[in-house]
Order: sequence, then C-alpha cells, then structure tokens
Amino acid sequence: MIGQNVPRTDGVPKVIGTARYIDDVPPLPGELWGVTVRSPVARGVLQRIELDPSFDWTDVTVVTADDMDDEHNVVALIEYDQPVLAKKQLRHMYEPIALIACADRDKAERARAAVKLHIDKQEPVLSIEDSLAAKHVVWGEDNVLKKYEIKQGDAEAAFQSCELVLTGTYRVHHQEQLYIEPQGVIARWFAGQDGQENLKILGSLQCPYYVHKALKKTFDLPDDRAHVEQTVTGGGFGGKEEYPSVVALHAALLAKKSGKPVRMIYGRKEDIEATTKRHPAICTVTIGCKNDGTFVAVKVDCLMDGGAYVTLTPVVLSRGALHACGAYRFQHHHVLAKALATSTPPNGAFRGFGAPQTIWAIERHVDAVARALGRDPHDLRDQNLFNEGDTTCTGQVLSVSVGGRACLDAATKAVDWKARRANIDRFNEKLARDGKRVRRGIGISTFMHGAGFTGSGERRLKGKVAVDLTPGGRLNIRSASTDIGQGTETVFRQIAASVSGVPFEHIDLEVPNTTKVPDSGPTVASRTVMVVGSIVGKAALEVAERVRAEMKDSGGTFAEAGDRLLKRVGGTVSSLQQYEPPVTRQFDEATYTGDAYPCFSWACDVAEVEVDLDTYETRVLKLWSASDVGRVINPILCAGQVEGGTLQAIGWALYEDVVWRPDGSIANARMTNYIVPTAVDAPPFETILVEIPFPAGPGGAKGVGELPMDGGAPAIASAVEHALSHELKWQGSLLPDLPLLPEKIFNRVRQLES
Amino acid sequence: MTGVAGILDGVRFERARSLDEAVSRVGALVSSGEPFHVLAGGTDLVVESHLAPPSPVARPGRTILDISSVPELSKIEDRGDRIRFGGGVTYLTLRREPWASRIPLLARMARDVGAIQIQARGTLAGNIATASPAADGVCGLFPLDTLVGLRSASGERAVPLTEYFTGYKKTQRRPDELIAWVDVRVPARDAKWAWRKVGTRLAQAISKVALAAVIEIDKGIIQYARFGMASVAPVTVSLPSVRALLEGRGVDVDLAALDAAVDRDVAPIDDVRSTGDYRRHVARAVVRELTRSLTT
Ligand SMILES: Cc1cc2nc3c(=O)[nH]c(=O)nc-3n(C[C@H](O)[C@H](O)[C@H](O)COP(=O)(O)OP(=O)(O)OC[C@H]3O[C@@H](n4cnc5c(N)ncnc54)[C@H](O)[C@@H]3O)c2cc1C
Repeated sequence: MIGQNVPRTDGVPKVIGTARYIDDVPPLPGELWGVTVRSPVARGVLQRIELDPSFDWTDVTVVTADDMDDEHNVVALIEYDQPVLAKKQLRHMYEPIALIACADRDKAERARAAVKLHIDKQEPVLSIEDSLAAKHVVWGEDNVLKKYEIKQGDAEAAFQSCELVLTGTYRVHHQEQLYIEPQGVIARWFAGQDGQENLKILGSLQCPYYVHKALKKTFDLPDDRAHVEQTVTGGGFGGKEEYPSVVALHAALLAKKSGKPVRMIYGRKEDIEATTKRHPAICTVTIGCKNDGTFVAVKVDCLMDGGAYVTLTPVVLSRGALHACGAYRFQHHHVLAKALATSTPPNGAFRGFGAPQTIWAIERHVDAVARALGRDPHDLRDQNLFNEGDTTCTGQVLSVSVGGRACLDAATKAVDWKARRANIDRFNEKLARDGKRVRRGIGISTFMHGAGFTGSGERRLKGKVAVDLTPGGRLNIRSASTDIGQGTETVFRQIAASVSGVPFEHIDLEVPNTTKVPDSGPTVASRTVMVVGSIVGKAALEVAERVRAEMKDSGGTFAEAGDRLLKRVGGTVSSLQQYEPPVTRQFDEATYTGDAYPCFSWACDVAEVEVDLDTYETRVLKLWSASDVGRVINPILCAGQVEGGTLQAIGWALYEDVVWRPDGSIANARMTNYIVPTAVDAPPFETILVEIPFPAGPGGAKGVGELPMDGGAPAIASAVEHALSHELKWQGSLLPDLPLLPEKIFNRVRQLES
Repeated sequence: MTGVAGILDGVRFERARSLDEAVSRVGALVSSGEPFHVLAGGTDLVVESHLAPPSPVARPGRTILDISSVPELSKIEDRGDRIRFGGGVTYLTLRREPWASRIPLLARMARDVGAIQIQARGTLAGNIATASPAADGVCGLFPLDTLVGLRSASGERAVPLTEYFTGYKKTQRRPDELIAWVDVRVPARDAKWAWRKVGTRLAQAISKVALAAVIEIDKGIIQYARFGMASVAPVTVSLPSVRALLEGRGVDVDLAALDAAVDRDVAPIDDVRSTGDYRRHVARAVVRELTRSLTT
C-alpha cells in the first residue's frame, strides 16, 4: 500500500459534485445570514456605534463588544490580545467592530451600511521600518511582538579573519492564500440532554481543536459542550489554521443573541481584505568565507511584520529564524529575529510558515557571494551544502535522513547543469546577434524544511489518534487531522492498511469533529503524515492484532472474528495512541540550542526562464524539483504537493502582490487583480522524489506540505539574474526583493543604467 | 419569465428573438425610465453584478433583456474587401475558419481574451459597450477602419470606432441604441499585422498594454498604417503621431522620432495593475519591435 498510487478517496465526490462544502449545507430552520461591520480606518479610536434610526432593525440582530465582558472578548490563541470585536482602540483596517444577522441576505447587507461608526482617526503604522522606528507605539512598549537570538560560535569575530565578507538586504512581501473556497461556518446553539446549552460549529477549517479552544474561552464552555466539525474544505494553505476561530466566534455570538442558527460565509473581497496573509520580512544577511568559497560564518538579522495582533507570529518568526542560515555548513552562526506590530490585519500561517521568507534571503545572498567570488551558483552550493554529520545553527547534528546532497545530485543530473548553462549562454549570444529581445537563464536553490513542530512542540502537544473496529472487520480512523485538499484521507487509509494488513477498502475515516475524534494536534507544519500518520498505523495495527488473536483462538475470517470480538466485549474495540517523539537531543527554548526538528525534508529546485528585455515579463520554461520527503506514501499525491507548492512559489515570485493604499486598505482584493498563475503560466515540472527514509516516520515518511513553497522564488530570481547578466553588470544582488514584477525589474534596471 | 431563485429574486428576465423586437423593447424601457440591462455573453455584466453586494444589477424591479438569441446579431456578411460582423459574434468565432484566415489579427487577438470559456461567450458588442480602455476586442478592431452600427427603433447609423469613445467609459451610443454590427476593412493579403498583449499573466489577464497594427507596404513605402493601443489612455488610442510618422515613408524608421511619436499619443497612468512609467516604456518598446519586424 505504501508507495502506491491509490486514487484519492475524496476525488469522486468532488468531481461529481456531491461533496458538500459549507455553502452547500442546506439551510437549517430559521437560519440567519451573518455579516461583519469592519473598521474603515487602519488606526483610530471608536467613540460610538450608531444604528441609523431610519432603518427597520426589528428583524436584525446586532452584536457589538458590549455584548461581552472584556475577559471573554478575546480570540484565544497564543496571547489573548486580539478581541473578538474591537471595543475602543482600532488596530487595523477591516477590524471587526459589529456583527449583523438577518434572514434576508440583502437586508443584512443594507443593515451593514446602516451602522454608523464614529471614529477618531489616528495615523497608522504600515511598514516594518516605521514600526521599528516606533513612529507610533501600536503594540506593547516598543512594537516588538517577539524576538529570538540564535548563536553558535562567534560570527562577528570570525568575519575578521574571513577573506570575503559580504552583506546584503532582502525583502519579501505579503502573500494571500487564495484558497478556492472562502472562509465560512454555520453556528447553532442547542440544549443537550441535560438541558445545558451546547454550541455546534460546522465549517471550512484546518484545525478543529483551535476553534474548540477559542469557543471554550469566549463562551465559558466545558470541553464537551462545544462541538466543532469540519465540512469538506476547499483549500487552506495555513489560511484556515487560526482564522476560522474568528468567523466561528462571530457566528456563535450572533446565533446566541438571536437564538437562531447563523451562517457566515465571506465573499472573496472580504476574505482577501480581512483574513491573514504571509508575513512580509526584511533580512540582512552577512556571509564570511574563504577565497576558495568555503563558508565560515553567517549572520542574519530578520525583521518580520506581524500585523496588528500576536496571533501565530511567535511561531512563524521562530521557524523563520531556524531556517535563516539555509542548508549550508558554517562554523559560526548568529541570527537575530524580531517581529514587529503594524496597523495591518494580523499576518498568519501560510505554507512554509516563516521559512520561505528567510530562505529567500539566504539563497539570494549565496548567489551574491557566488557572483563576488566569480563562482557558478550551483558549485558554491555543492561545496557548502550540509552533509550527514554536519551541525546546524542550533547545534543539531544532522544524523538521520539527510537528503540534501542526494537532491542536489539528482537535480544536477536531470538538468545536466553545466552543459545546460553553457548552452543557454551560447543561445543568448545568438539571440543578441539576431536582435531578439528575449534572454534565457537558469537558476538554482537548495533548501531544507524542519518536519513537524519545532523543539519540544510535539512532546507538549501529545497528539492522539484512535482506531475502532467496526462491524464486518472494518477499521474506522478517528483523527482531528483534516483533509483540505492535500490527500490526508487517502494516505491515512494507505498507512493504516499497510501497517495493519487490513484491506484499504475496509478502512473508514471519521469526519473530524471534536466530539468524536481525539485531539491529534493541528493540521499544520508538514506533520500530518510523519507524526499523526505514524500513530494511525500503530492504532490500526493494535486493533488488527486483537482481531487476529481472536481468529487464532476461535477461527473464522477476519470479519467474523471481528464481529465476534465486538459482541463479546460489548461494542467497543479500539486503540487510542499518543505520539511519542523520537528521542533526540532536547531543544532548549531559552537558548535556542539542541535538536530543533526530529528531521528535515530537503530539496533542490532548478528553474529555467525566459525574460523579455522590453517588458521584463518572466516566463518559467521548466522547473525541476528534486525533493527528499522520506519514503513516499502516494507518489501522485506527493508529486501534486511538490508541483502545487512550487507553483504557489512561482506565484509569490512573479505575479502575486497585495497592493496597499496609503490608508492601509487593499486595492486589489479581487481575483482579477490579485494575480495568481493560471494553468497556462505553469511550467512543465520535472519532479524527482528522492527517498531517504526517516525511521520514525510511517514507512519512513517525512513531511512534504511546506517544503515546495521554500525554494521556487529564489531559484527563479537566480535564473532571471542569469538571463539579464548578458546585458547588465551589477554588484551584490540585482533582484534582492520580491515580487519580481515586470514593473519592479524595469525600475531596478533603470536605476542601474542611470 | 420572472426571477430565478436567490440573487435574481424580483428581477424581470426577458429574451428578445429578433433585432427589431430587441430595439423596440429597449426603446420602450428607456422611455418608461425603468432600470434595465442588456445581456449578451454576460462576461462583463455578470461579473460587475457580483462585485459589490447587494448586487447593483440584480435588483428587484430591474429588467434584464437577453439578446444572446437574436439571430441578426450573430450574422456575418463577407463582402470581399469588408466584412460585417454581427455585434453578438464571439471571440471563438473569430478564431475559427474562415474568419481566422480572412483577418488573422482578430483571430490572434481573440486567442488572448480571457480563456476559452470567456471566448465562447464574450461578444464584440459587449466589449465595445463596456468601453474599457483595456478592451482587447476594441484594440484589435481599431486598425481595421471599423464602423460601429448603432441601431434603435428609429433607425440605424454608423460611427467610426476611432471616434466612438468620447472619454473614460463614455461613448457616442444613446441609451436606446444597440450595437448591431461592426464593419471592418479586410487588410491586403500581404499586409503586415501585429498583435501584442502585455498582460498580468498569460491567460485571464487584463492588458497592461496591448498593441494592434495593420501595415501595408508597397515598393518599400508604407502606404497604410493603422493602430490600436489599449490601457495607455482613458480611451483606446489610434497612435495618430505614429501613423503620421510612418505613412509615406520607407520602413527604416528613426527610433528616437518613433519614441517621441508614441510619447505624444499616450497618457498612461499608475493603477492597481501597473505604473504609468512602465506602460510608457512598454508602449515605446512594442512599437519599436513592430517597426523592426517590418524590415525582416
Ligand atoms: C474571466 C474574464 C476574462 C476576461 N478577459 C478579457 C480579456 O482578456 N480582454 C478583454 O477585452 N475583455 C476580457 N473580459 C471582459 C469581457 O469578456 C469582454 O469585454 C466581452 O467582450 C464582453 O462581452 P459580453 O457579450 O460577455 O458582454 P455582456 O457582459 O453581456 O455585456 C457587457 C455590456 O455590454 C452591453 N451590451 C452587450 N451587447 C450589447 C449590444 N449589442 N448593444 C449594446 N450594448 C450591449 C451590456 O448591456 C453590458 O453593459 C474578461 C471577462 C472575464 C469574466
């Protein structure tokens, strides 16, 4: 089963249209439609909310911060600083201020317009630079949401004795997840058998237990009176990790006050405007090396824009910091990472989770060093790439499943790097001779991504999974890990089937619902297969073994023995497993030393591009990606993750740009103007799955979800620089900042020429 | 027929079966003062109606007059040196034979509109009526000496497309008029033509700059040069200075003079899709590229 291309089990219902997304759930009796009144300013003080007296409010429910006390007016996550509804201080454009529900959708919209907000405007802080300079203090005492320092050796001292020391500053921008299905939930309160109030949330979400936690806090509910169930979810990419808590709280508030079920589904515009995005970052990287190219020391100063509230920023920043030194061997490391608050909507989880930001910087800088040394960017990477036995910035010795070199070698071979680069150079000369206005280029990136939660995260989390025996010798997996399009449903069944020996068709999966499934931890951090999958296998095996023992004792088929067993024990034959992280060197959160991750996934991306010298449009002609994600459970699904993730990286590199107006609002909150690549823009992919098994993963698997988002952008930038190197001369980095929009390249070239 | 459940509740939906019926209905709606919308392919109208809920289009009391089944609007008359396309002709039709061979410029333009689904529904009249300065269809029609046939209950008139737009999204069309046809000149068999769309991506893209051109050369002298350029001014422009520079001259063009001519003809702005500086640069570059191609 493991390693086979089993067709995805959610495929047919999605294709024939029987899969029910939240908007397809039939209306409940008496259901209302909920909408949100949002701040029209990026920063200000709310003086008064006025309901237009000429509007008929009789069938409209309105909720404001006054409907809660301050203690409960929080979205419970890491810090309790974000209110469910703003009461006084407005901290970002589109911040929720009031909620409206009405049976008539059109009227709900009109009611939204009939709420008058009296606000004293304040000047917002809209950039990392302004926040750092504390132009205004918008959070805490100094706008600093979180900071980390990582230190091994003494980088500053080591630079003194290096033959080359080069510094560069690199920037990345916001990115919108743009899942196909916008955010949406249905909230309903009902009386339990004991007469107590219960709350049920149905919704498009990644992490049912995050929503559960938020509901418990705001509504003072015990565990068993808040019920959160996932509906078929049309994509998440991290965007449905923490934000669904906000939508669920809003719908639940309206449902509570109105006494009716409330459906709340965002339109595309509202979704782009109000929900989380990838954290922008500015990284200054210094590398010290010898003239022969041997890397010696690295220093990275990383600033991230957290937006208006803490949300998941500390964790994003941490992962960014831990990946900031790249996949290379240095003797000395120094990383300073700081997240700053601004007056923009909170930035949040997005595939890669801080790593693509810092990997952009280090990869761009490795190219700049190669340029300064007159070296081929491939060879400099080859020389310095981590090998087994090398030590990372936290002092972690890479000892298991270290696939970086295997990936680089596989990609080099597939691309035939040296010959191809030389061919491109010759081809460009011919293009120039013929007066053609395009040039080609090829670029590379090598990178790694820590699999699972950082440090002792998994130990604290204690993720659980249950597998039950059901009639007919079937197994039912109960897990909180959600399938949001990535194929969890299918690969969990494959793992359970392969470990337990029960046929794939006899394995079922419970819909993730906090009342029915144990807390397996969130569906994030490339942890679903490696961490949760491993206990799915264990639990399935334990149940199957019990049935087999029964077969041995009293005979019959597996199904007969299973039914007999169920009858004898009175209904439940089940195994509940808790994840036990492999024993590694303890990670010390105070000093950021030790084993940050049980293992890493590795990859090498190579991009070939064509750049138009007149319009500066870049077209990716081909993208090779060699990835080591351990043993592959389902090659087609896995390649789908690599190609889809890489295409998302291509989007981030070449097309996607959140356009902010000076007042902190978004100018392009539409799919027409927020440009993601279409199928026509997608290059042919050559995906090579290099399988270096990780013994503690199921069948040897690691994580694949985030890795492909990390390396696409720098590989493309490297290729664009190669293409333009025939026409232009520069020092350092030609393209230090994302996105590589034609307008930005045009400006940069003009700046160089003048 | 009345309302479809949901967002179209209370909207009156009518379908015209002939051009006469359509124009008389439009005339009646205009004189009654009732709000209405004419629907062809719906690829502009439906999108606009979804943008800002509550929908400005699908409002109770409105009438939507569907003209997509009016036979006269999809008729095509080939008169040799000119072709008259009904206003309801789609991009997909332009991409197909025999029209693709007759006017390759339009076929090439049509290939760059949205993607196949949009090409199958979107119409020339819809593109002209929306009057966006980024319209590809309008831009492609500009170099073809196009006449727009405006029809109302009281008669028909023809307006040159290059004079049809009077300002940003403003046109000469009266509310009681429908676009019945566009009448285009078929370029000479050996005419040079060009289509270059610089969009935000390769499909489903709005033009940042688009250039359409037809150039006829006789004995090394440019006899006829016509252009359309999208997204560089409040309306589609015909690059009159470039035309004046080229017509009557040889194909060896002075590039500095060419750039200066383009500069006089365009007035691009910064917007959410691009910048004025970039558009000006690209406008010059695509015109240069075009003249370069004349010598090869
Ligand atoms: C995804 C997508 C991609 C697109 N890509 C492009 C592109 O690449 N390039 C481009 O130029 N456009 C593009 N468009 C816009 C649109 O497809 C075109 O403008 C198309 O030509 C509109 O034609 P229609 O028949 O669909 O118009 P409709 O939406 O039916 O109508 C548009 C307007 O024209 C009026 N109208 C229609 N027919 C007549 C008539 N005969 N007389 C008078 N008024 C009339 C309508 O009342 C309405 O106001 C795109 C649209 C979408 C949704």
